[in-house]
Amino acid sequence: MSARRVPWLAVHQDLGARRRAVLGVLAFLLPLAIWSAFSYLPFLWHPKMLVLDAGDTYLGEGKRYDEAAFHEANAQAAVEGKAPARGEPANPVFLPAPHEVALALVLGFQEPPQNDSDSWLHERIAESLRVIFWGFFWASVVGVPLGVLCGSFMLFARLTEPFVDFIRYMPAPAFGTLLVAILGTQAAPKVAVIFVGTFFQMVLVLANTTRQMDRGLLEAAQTLGADNRKLLTHVVVPGVLPRLYIDMRILLGWAWTYLIVAELIGEKSGITAYIQQQGRYFNFDKVYAGIILIGLLGLFTDQVLQALGRRLFPWEADAAAGPSVLGRVRAFARQARGLEVRAPAQSTGA
Amino acid sequence: MAASLELPSYLDLAPAVRERFARIDARSVVLEVKRVEKRFRSPRGEDVVALHDISFDVHRREFIAVIGPSGCGKSTLNRIIAGLDHPTSGELLLDGRPVSEPGPDRGMVFQSYTLFPWLTVKKNVMFGLQMSGRGGVAESEALQWLEMVGLSDFAHLYPKQLSGGMKQRVAIARALANRPRILLMDEPFGALDAQTRCAMQSYLLQIWENVDITILFVTHDLDEAIYLADRIVVLGRQPGHVKEIISVPVPRPRSPEQLISPHFIATRKRLDDLIHAQDVDAKEIPIPRLTPVGDDVL
Repeated sequence: MSARRVPWLAVHQDLGARRRAVLGVLAFLLPLAIWSAFSYLPFLWHPKMLVLDAGDTYLGEGKRYDEAAFHEANAQAAVEGKAPARGEPANPVFLPAPHEVALALVLGFQEPPQNDSDSWLHERIAESLRVIFWGFFWASVVGVPLGVLCGSFMLFARLTEPFVDFIRYMPAPAFGTLLVAILGTQAAPKVAVIFVGTFFQMVLVLANTTRQMDRGLLEAAQTLGADNRKLLTHVVVPGVLPRLYIDMRILLGWAWTYLIVAELIGEKSGITAYIQQQGRYFNFDKVYAGIILIGLLGLFTDQVLQALGRRLFPWEADAAAGPSVLGRVRAFARQARGLEVRAPAQSTGA
Repeated sequence: MAASLELPSYLDLAPAVRERFARIDARSVVLEVKRVEKRFRSPRGEDVVALHDISFDVHRREFIAVIGPSGCGKSTLNRIIAGLDHPTSGELLLDGRPVSEPGPDRGMVFQSYTLFPWLTVKKNVMFGLQMSGRGGVAESEALQWLEMVGLSDFAHLYPKQLSGGMKQRVAIARALANRPRILLMDEPFGALDAQTRCAMQSYLLQIWENVDITILFVTHDLDEAIYLADRIVVLGRQPGHVKEIISVPVPRPRSPEQLISPHFIATRKRLDDLIHAQDVDAKEIPIPRLTPVGDDVL
C-alpha cells in the first residue's frame, strides 16, 4: 500500500504509529532483558558464591562469599577431610533478579511491618502522596498566580524575580534543618521542603511561559475593546493555560525528586523510610520494589494528567498529544538551566 | 510593454465616477489623520523618522487603501490609527474626537489572523460584544455575522480547524460584530495563496457593499489596492510621507474583468511609477554568463 517504507534511520522523519509503539515497548523490554540476562545466565558476571549447604566449613548457609573465599574454605575442608560446602554462582546481594523484585512488589503490601510502631507499605505510600500533594498544592496556590502576574506585568516581574532567582539557587534540602527547627519533625517540614523545592522554580518557569504569549492576540483583543483586567483574565490566562499545564506536569516531576530528601528530614516517613529500612535489613529486592514504586506512581500520575490535559484543552488537541511533550521537556530543561529569554512572540504587521 | 498602447490619464474621471466622488466627499469625515509624525530611536541611538507629516481624511463608507514600498511605515500608520502605537506628534480624530488608545470603535484585521485558539469560531465573534458588556445579544449577533461571511456551519469549530481564508473571514466577522466606525485592515490577505486572495477580495467588496462600514486597507499589492479602493494613499519611504492621494477612476461595481480595463492599467502604471521611482533594489543587476547557452534562447 505505501509506496516506500521510511528507513529506520531516517533523519527527522516519522516512523509511523506502529513502529513508534513497538519502539516504546522495546524501550522498557531492553533494560529488562539486560537485567534478566545478568540475573539468569550464570556465566554472565555472578561474582559471588551463594552457599546452599555449608557442609563442615565455617561458611554460613544462604550467605554470599567471594569465589576465592569459597574455594579456599572448601580446599581447607578437603585437607581436613571434612564435607565441603555446596554453592552456586550468584550476584551480589544488591542485584536481585527481576522475579524477586516483582514478588517483593506484591508481597510488600501483604507483609506486616517489622516493628509494631511502623506502618504498612500502603500507609507509607499514602504518607508520601500526602506530602507531595500538600507541598505542591501550596506551591501552586501561591506560585501560579504570581507566575502569571510576573509574566504579564513588568512591575511584578522586576519586583519578585531577582529575589526568587536568588533563592532558586539554594538547594531545598539545605533548608531541611531550619524547617525542622521551625515546623517540628512531623509532616509540616516535609511539605515545606517540597514547597521550597518547587515554588521558586514555578514562579520563574510560569512567568517565562506567560511572557511567550502571542502579542498579536493581545493587540487583537485590545482593538476589540478588552480593558487591562479583561486582557489578563480573558486573553492571557486562557492563552497560556495549556502550556502552563504542561509546565506544571514537569514541575510535579521535580516535586517527586524532592520527596526523598523531604522524607529523610525529621522523623523518616513514607516510601523513603521503607526503602531505608529494607536496605538496613539487606532486603534489596524490596529496596528495588520501593524505588520502582515511586517511578510507577510518577508515571501513572503523569499519564493521568496528560489524558486530562487533552480533555481540558481540546483546541490544543494535536499539540498536547504525543512526542511534543518530550520536546517541551527538553525546552524546559534548557529554560530551567539558564532561563534564557526567548525572543518575544512575533508581533503582527510587516 | 508595447509603446503604442493608448492609455487615458488616470486623472481623467468618467462623469459617473466623478459623481461618486462628489457623493463621497459630501459625506461626513469619519477619520481625520492630521500631521502625524512618528520618530523612534534606532538601536544605534540615531533618531529615525518613520512617518513624516501624514495627513488625509477618510469619509464615511469610503474604501481607502494605503500602499507603499516595504519600510515606508504603512503598517505603523495603521497601528497608530488603531491606537496600538502612538504618534510622536500630530493628531487622529475619529468623528471629530481625538483618539489615542485602542478601542472597539476602530476594528482591526491583522495579516496573522489572530483568532483566539481557545475559543470556537462563534465565541471568537462574540468576544468583542462580551468585552463591551453586550453579552446578552452576543450569540444571536455573532450568528448573524457568521452567516454574512458564510461560515454558519463552522460556528462550533476551533480556528485551528479552518483554512487561512476561512480564518480571515472569521476575523472580519469578529471585527464587524463590534460595529466599529472604521475597519482597519493590515495586509489581511498577504498570507493567502493567490486564488483564495482573489476570492477574498471580491468577498470583502460584497461585505462592504452590504454593511455601513468605512475601510482603511493597507497593502503592498497595487492591483489589490486599485481593485478595492475608492482612494489610494501612496506613501514614499525614508521618511514615510504621503506622495499622492489617487482617486481611482475605475467605476463600481468592480469585477475582476476590470483588471484589464484602460483606466485600471493607467492607474496601475501611475502607482508603479510612484512606488518604484526611488526603488534602488529594482535597478538592473548585470548577470554574468556562467555557462554557454544555445542560440535558441532569445
